[in-house]
Amino acid sequence: MAVDRRKVAVFGAAFVLRLLLICLFPSLPDLLTGRVEVSTPVNSFKRLQEGLYLYTRNVSPYDGGVFHQAPLLLPLFSLLPDVNSNPIPTAIFYFLVDLVNAHALATISESGQSVQSRLHSAMRKHIRWDGTSVAAWFLFNPFTIATCLARSTSVFTTSGILLAVSNAVSGNTLNAMLALGLASYLSMYPALLFVPLALLCYDQRAQKSAQAPSSGLFILQHGAILSGSIAGLLGLSILITGNFWEFMSATYGFHLLVPDLTPNVGLWWYFFIEMFDSFREFFLGVFWLHLASYVGGLTARLRRQPLFIITSLLGVFAVFKPYPSISDASLYFALLPLYRHLFPLMRYTFFAISALLYSSLLGPAFYHLWIYAGSGNANFFYAITLVWSLGLSILLADSIFAALRDEWEQDHPERKGQEVKQV
Amino acid sequence: MTSKNGDHGSPQTSSTLKADPKPSAQRVPPPETPEAIQTRFRVIAAFWAVIIFLGFPIWWKTTSIYRAHLPIQEMADWADGKTCRPVFPLEIHVAAPTMQLPESQHLVRTTQHALDDLNEFAAHHLRLKLTNDTETSTAQGIDNTPITGSMMDDAPDTALTVRVVAQEGLATPRSELRADTTQLDIFYPPSQVPIPSSSNPPLSVFIAEELQRLYSEEKATIAYILSGGAAGRDSESISRRLRRSMKYADTYHLSFSLFTPGSAPSSWDIEAAVQEYLSPLLHAFGPISNFTIDTQVQLYATFSPMAPPPVYDETESAWTLKKEDLSAFINAAEWPLNPSIGNGPTLNFILYVPDPSQSPMVVKENRASSWIVPQWGGVFLLNPPLEQAGQSGSQTNPGHITQESLRPAFMTFSHQLLTLLGTPTTPASLPLRLQSLIRVRAATLLLSASSTMGSLARLTESLAAIPIPATVASSVSTTLAQLSSTCSHLREGRFGAALTSARIAETEAERSFFEKSMVGQVYFPDEHKVAVYLPLLGPIGVPLLVSLMKELKRLVAGWKARRRSTA
Repeated sequence: MAVDRRKVAVFGAAFVLRLLLICLFPSLPDLLTGRVEVSTPVNSFKRLQEGLYLYTRNVSPYDGGVFHQAPLLLPLFSLLPDVNSNPIPTAIFYFLVDLVNAHALATISESGQSVQSRLHSAMRKHIRWDGTSVAAWFLFNPFTIATCLARSTSVFTTSGILLAVSNAVSGNTLNAMLALGLASYLSMYPALLFVPLALLCYDQRAQKSAQAPSSGLFILQHGAILSGSIAGLLGLSILITGNFWEFMSATYGFHLLVPDLTPNVGLWWYFFIEMFDSFREFFLGVFWLHLASYVGGLTARLRRQPLFIITSLLGVFAVFKPYPSISDASLYFALLPLYRHLFPLMRYTFFAISALLYSSLLGPAFYHLWIYAGSGNANFFYAITLVWSLGLSILLADSIFAALRDEWEQDHPERKGQEVKQV
Repeated sequence: MTSKNGDHGSPQTSSTLKADPKPSAQRVPPPETPEAIQTRFRVIAAFWAVIIFLGFPIWWKTTSIYRAHLPIQEMADWADGKTCRPVFPLEIHVAAPTMQLPESQHLVRTTQHALDDLNEFAAHHLRLKLTNDTETSTAQGIDNTPITGSMMDDAPDTALTVRVVAQEGLATPRSELRADTTQLDIFYPPSQVPIPSSSNPPLSVFIAEELQRLYSEEKATIAYILSGGAAGRDSESISRRLRRSMKYADTYHLSFSLFTPGSAPSSWDIEAAVQEYLSPLLHAFGPISNFTIDTQVQLYATFSPMAPPPVYDETESAWTLKKEDLSAFINAAEWPLNPSIGNGPTLNFILYVPDPSQSPMVVKENRASSWIVPQWGGVFLLNPPLEQAGQSGSQTNPGHITQESLRPAFMTFSHQLLTLLGTPTTPASLPLRLQSLIRVRAATLLLSASSTMGSLARLTESLAAIPIPATVASSVSTTLAQLSSTCSHLREGRFGAALTSARIAETEAERSFFEKSMVGQVYFPDEHKVAVYLPLLGPIGVPLLVSLMKELKRLVAGWKARRRSTA
């Protein structure tokens, strides 16, 4: 088997860079683990350790009210050596997960699904990066590196999603659903990706076989596979925790009801701190529906490019999720380079990227002013998270605009490159 | 909130508006393909499906205010006193072992007549019942069941037993109330045995007057309470007595403190003293209230600098405090007197041992060594015999106060406790006073729980927007049930049971009235809801509504066109 030397070099360099970082700055992982931008209550490594401590002493890990992550992570991490005395094996495990993610990303890129799908063919196919470059974008993204070093458990959700997509584009629909089941089991919100992912699988199947299978039956079948895999994982979790309702309310109940309002880069915490108590449930419903309502609209509008629906939805989640962190943004940024051919059509890239850079530099500073220096207040940090969300949303809206423009040019090839005017 | 305005709409506006970009201003835009129109319809339908099928049910479920049903009319009736007129029929047993049965029956009948003539307050009346050893049916008993042990629960409490005994060598009848039981002995000269023909024998009149005198204070108190504090006969003294006593509580906390300005005494036999002198009284109070006790010893407790110091009085050869200065005696700023421990109010009892240089200390006007602080507690000045310390000849307080020397203090404290708890001052028998207190308390609690019910009813009527949790409804129904059982217990003369019910009613009534979740929205008028909904839902809603309207217009136009073409 021919080994792609460039790919090996990129992967090796990424690995060595991470290793160097933790060897040169041994306190860096713990510093990053404590940052609110990286660690949220649902993916914090510190909280995982608390749950692990309780679990290894045969106490229910959810007893302390601190741990809110899926129980299957516990036996996995109890196999690794103690992170306080020996942090390297855990770190290397995370590096490897990152490399697996990058590999999945390279697979997606090499399938060419982003430029050429069953119902759609991009106009600027020639402008694109190969799999190794896309993987490099992912591996050397500072947000990815920070997430990896902070040992946030979001990386497993990321793997689940990326593996699901990479299996789907290679036509391996069963594995795709199983991987999505894992991601949904870990963080719940990836289940919203089911419809576009099923469409992606359907397009692949239809492209390969002579006659297209019945779409309704296909989606039902894959929905059953997804539910089955989630049910299986939940069944395993019951074996571990013993108390079904306790772990359901501590994990998924926590995602749904958002009781912990620790600041993060999202929009929910400040809003629910200020909200009147009697309206809390109502606005929880509104926020969740707002998040979910994009699935239907985007799927209907971008039916021809299912992979782009997934990408855009991941961007929506990174902004509107209850507990977002920079790892969600890094996942969106990982998939965006697949659409290199849309970049020439985007209009506000400079503004979006400036807003993102501005907020990622000022965010930690304002957080420090608020929490440690005491010379600022919560509004400082919240304003920065607004700018961050604004930057992401501009990028998102711009990329969707570019994708639609691309589709329109495909329908009207004679008008390619002409000025557009919005009506 | 503001962020939402900026970025929520981008995906769907881009999907709806940017779907049909015009190539340039001059040229007519190319006609939309049916496919594009269908796609747009689907996008709008997808958003509206989420809103209608998920959004509206969530809105309905989470913002509807749960108002449990309350029996408003019934509650108001209780508060207005329409449901229950409390009556206090006291059952008094008459035993006349030295009389013949017809004679004693006649005596009871005539005495009852005399009593009824004397009584001017209908709610409180005395019922005589003859209990000789032989079973006798009585003239005016509520039920004819003789009192036996097993039937005690249903039978009315016996308020008093009157023993009518013949005694030689008496000119007129004589009464004697025993201080420790509920028995009144009447001694009469044998010559005064009522003859069956006489309608108003002197013995009956005497007994009736005695009984009337025994219960006059209680009667006046209950009349005062039921009338809501309106002026009446000796209402002045009653209201003063009620002002001095604590508000009723289910549990009182008693705090006994030893204060001394020096280093001695530093210990006291408080546990034994409480056990010996106070426990029986507290036990007797069991049906009325519960008590918790703590004690403390505070050395070097000085007077407040503002308080006038005691003055040496040559004639009394004692250090004296002026009566008007007693209010400044307690150094509230520095003495650690807990305002409240636990959930009940605290009664403070202070034992003050003066410094040897200021001993003995008394109150100037009457040489008293104790006084009561209304609604707060009592103070006792203990002047123990001084001891000679060493060769210097200086005198010191004893280091330890024995149980025996605490005896006068605790006798005073017991008396103060009775006063602070609102016990009537007459009659002389303690059991009778406690029984009287039970009736007074039952009446107070009945009224207070009823009026709480009325307030709650008015509150829920006037504030239509506050939620009423199910716990409040269940508390209210418990209260009403306990109130009516209080009322029926009172009517049948079972005052202990009535007080028990009234205590539960009062607790539940307070709980329902002070339910926290009810008042959360009191200051939240409906107009504020606009401010809650609009900033977030407005920006989301406007593009959705506009697109929906456009789409509907298009559908209607298409439908009309189709009809025209077919017609």
